[in-house]
Amino acid sequence: MQNHLTGPSDVEIVRRIIDGDVNSFELLLKKYQDHVLRIVKKHIPYSEVEEMAQDVFVRAYQALANFKKEGSFKQWLSSIAVRTCYDFWRKQYRSRELPMSDLSERHRDWLEKTLSSESDLSFSEESRAKEAGELLDWALSKLSAKDRVVLELVYLEGFSVKEAADLLSLSVSNVKVRSFRSRKKLEKILTALIST
Amino acid sequence: MKSLGHKLGVLKKILCQAYHEKENINVGDQWQLNAMRRIRNLGPVQSGLSFFMLFEQFVWRLTPATCLLIIVGAIIFLKLGFFPDYDVLTLFINDTEELSLAQLF
Repeated sequence: MQNHLTGPSDVEIVRRIIDGDVNSFELLLKKYQDHVLRIVKKHIPYSEVEEMAQDVFVRAYQALANFKKEGSFKQWLSSIAVRTCYDFWRKQYRSRELPMSDLSERHRDWLEKTLSSESDLSFSEESRAKEAGELLDWALSKLSAKDRVVLELVYLEGFSVKEAADLLSLSVSNVKVRSFRSRKKLEKILTALIST
Repeated sequence: MKSLGHKLGVLKKILCQAYHEKENINVGDQWQLNAMRRIRNLGPVQSGLSFFMLFEQFVWRLTPATCLLIIVGAIIFLKLGFFPDYDVLTLFINDTEELSLAQLF
């Protein structure tokens, strides 16, 4: 079906691609590139974002024949994006390519100053974002790949357990248990950090 | 002196904010071109026909011919009088020495 205001629908574009018009995929890429980037940027280190965004679209293209026409393409693509991020962390944890070192003195100093200052957010925005981002990555690296992604989806992004389960193709009970355990574990890590 | 609970609350808030600020990082615009290049190199989308679907489509079509071949083969063997069990038993009874040596080598 053709919508004269917004161009061909996603289903129409998918049909064209399956019929052999590979270039039509560019329409989907342009339409959803910001959406995919938003997901990937949050889950993956900055240096890997571009590569991962490419991988998401390549995987979507390869799986296009499995897209169920009655569902939402955006939802289907989101699921591929989240699972691509999860696969990234699974590979990283298996090969341990990312450093798992302890926090540096710089981070400890920053943490001490931030938590002891009277005003909670007294440091400059830029400095806070950088140090806090590194601290968050350090804390999340202590969790398993699956726990990490579940925690990010449920507690940091605010998805419901059902939505997170759909995105990761896991059962609702599995996500519920994982999100609870991983949150407790993260709290334990952070408590130990600020107690020392 | 702030309590541990308060400090934890502040830290969680800062980390949560840092997580959402990741969204603001800038990314180059070459990745879309690279993605399309990779996709064009892959060629047209696979129709999603799995091995089992191919089995269903093509192998089952050959079933009548296969059954016919089995029946014709059985009739030919019966006509020729080929009974492998009977032949082996006869060989074993008539020439036990040769059979046991043959089994050794």
